[in-house]
Amino acid sequence: MTENTKQPTSPQPVAERGPYRVVIVDDHAMFRTGVKAEIGRSVAVVGEAADADRAIAVILQTQPDVVLLDVHLPGGGGVEVIRKVHEKSPEQKFLALSVSDAAEDVIGVIRAGARGYVTKSISGSELIDAIRRVADGDAVFSPRLAGFVLDAFSGSIDLATVDEDLDRLSQREREVLRLIARGYAYKEVAKELFISIKTVETHVSSVLRKLQLSNRHQLTRWATDRRLV
Amino acid sequence: MTATDSSHLGPDIHDANTAPTQHIDTMSDGTESSSVVAEFAQPAATSAPTTDRVSDAGQTGSEERPRATRVAEGAWLGGVCTGLARHLGWPVMAVRIAFVALATFQFIGVIAYGALWLLLPPESTTKAPGLESANRAGMRDESKPKRRIDWGMLLALIALGVGLLWIMQNTGLGISSQLFWPVAFACAGAALVWRQADTAQQKRWRNEAGGKVWLAPFVARGGWPSLVRVIVGLGLVGAAFGIVLAQRGQISQLPDVMAMTMLALAGLAIVLAPWLHRSRTALNQARAERVRADARADMAAHLHDSVLQTLAMIQRQSDDPKAVQQLARRQERELRNWLYGDELPEATLKAALTAIAAEVEDERGVPVELVTVGDCDTSDAIQALVRAAREAMVNAAKHSGADKIDVYAEVDEDSVEVFVRDRGAGFDLDTVAEDRMGVKGSIIDRMARHGGSATIRSVSGNGTEVRLEIKT
Repeated sequence: MTENTKQPTSPQPVAERGPYRVVIVDDHAMFRTGVKAEIGRSVAVVGEAADADRAIAVILQTQPDVVLLDVHLPGGGGVEVIRKVHEKSPEQKFLALSVSDAAEDVIGVIRAGARGYVTKSISGSELIDAIRRVADGDAVFSPRLAGFVLDAFSGSIDLATVDEDLDRLSQREREVLRLIARGYAYKEVAKELFISIKTVETHVSSVLRKLQLSNRHQLTRWATDRRLV
Repeated sequence: MTATDSSHLGPDIHDANTAPTQHIDTMSDGTESSSVVAEFAQPAATSAPTTDRVSDAGQTGSEERPRATRVAEGAWLGGVCTGLARHLGWPVMAVRIAFVALATFQFIGVIAYGALWLLLPPESTTKAPGLESANRAGMRDESKPKRRIDWGMLLALIALGVGLLWIMQNTGLGISSQLFWPVAFACAGAALVWRQADTAQQKRWRNEAGGKVWLAPFVARGGWPSLVRVIVGLGLVGAAFGIVLAQRGQISQLPDVMAMTMLALAGLAIVLAPWLHRSRTALNQARAERVRADARADMAAHLHDSVLQTLAMIQRQSDDPKAVQQLARRQERELRNWLYGDELPEATLKAALTAIAAEVEDERGVPVELVTVGDCDTSDAIQALVRAAREAMVNAAKHSGADKIDVYAEVDEDSVEVFVRDRGAGFDLDTVAEDRMGVKGSIIDRMARHGGSATIRSVSGNGTEVRLEIKT
């Protein structure tokens, strides 16, 4: 929007960068306008899209730092957008944004490759914070998502299929997630556990990786089944 | 739809007296139509021209009278007189007197009344989708006066039977006593079968059997009682045959006659089977159609009850951001729960906490973010835990000034933990006055009584966290 931030390459881990470049994908024009008004001062909204096909085109063309992605979207939903974009541009970062906080939506879009999940009731400043975090390569866990992950990884699993690395949360990761679920910000988690914020971010990213890569069948099934209980 | 039509047209009719007439007209049209589609199509076609005529001709517009129906409102017996009076435009009392007068002549009044009771359809009660769906959900008390419809129906049938006999015996057409009992049996049997078509079921059957009411007892699902009634009824009719034969001294032929009859019936059944099957299929389709229509109506009703009301309230309170936020938040929670919500089993920790979080949110206007991991059934101890959690939430909402409360519950194999956290003012536990029962009595002592523990961590200016734990 203003400076020459148009670096077509993937974002570099530089602390001080110009405003983050964001694409908003949502089928409700009113919501797009609202978000734009709220975050427009702190980030550069470089594109908008209302359906999956258009979103893929816009994202590939503008190469934004972060895509704010609605989970429910005409033309295949947010999951489809992530999949198609990652085929061509695997480094693209997505932050899922939805009114739905149903487990299968949350877990589904995270496993598809989103780096965070927030609900649409999030405040403007929190959203900007989340965008910054995702742009810097970290994961954004809402309390609810943390709860889902704890729930999903808590069940007993078949020992033969356990991949220690991916299918279990470490003690520390569990502690971090529990604090996030209790409503602690990363900063507060760090203080509580006497670790640095960077370490907290590392733990959360590692949980995100496990969530995405673990082939615990239970994970997907858990998300679907829990509605049927 | 019908009600809306007539109420929209109402103001055009300058003569106020005609308005109710018009109303009944469209209503009874709704009753008569057999399927959902017809119900929607018919009144639209008929009501408009009727209105024109009525408003042109004023009171004299009598060619297009309301259909005669039985009217529950203001009825003495079956509502026949009230319905007829509306149909004919006569005073109700005149019709009643006429019936009583006719009754003194060979019971004609009684017979006519009974026959009309059976034949006239009950008045339609089609309402707005919201009301209909609320009724289906049992959320409305349909304030229909409880009527002894079943007894009245039975009474009418008996009166009809007795009256028929009376008239026959008196007019010389009388039956010989030989035939009397067979006829009585046959009548009773037929009545038993058709008795099922009482008011409660008639309407449903009419819908299910695609308007062919006489088919209804055989086609519609009525459960085992109706089956029993059909069998007993047919048995009685059969017995009537038997008695006739016995009286003719041809009892020896009874097996033959029975066999012939059975054969004939079986043949008939084979011939009719495909047709009956088709009727059943059509009936099922109609039912499915109806379910869909109901679902649509429910949806409309839900939007009306929730979103529309909230939007109206938001407009009214648009200068109070706090109230608007609270309204929006509540609506969001409700709608989200309706769209994506988990079906929560009744008596679990999660359900209890969800209910309480919603309650505090509504009462105090502070959003409560609830996250649960695992779940368990409620027990006395869990209920105490939930109540303590509620107290903690209320305290946070009341005193902390925080704009959000986080509640986290985790169920382990051997313990249940609940955390209630706010980022508000915080307080010093020691300075809380003794008489302030909230924290000590409702949280700490309550947890101790049930073998649990409560830890309160509060830093002045940095929020409060209450941790509740119970070993299971």
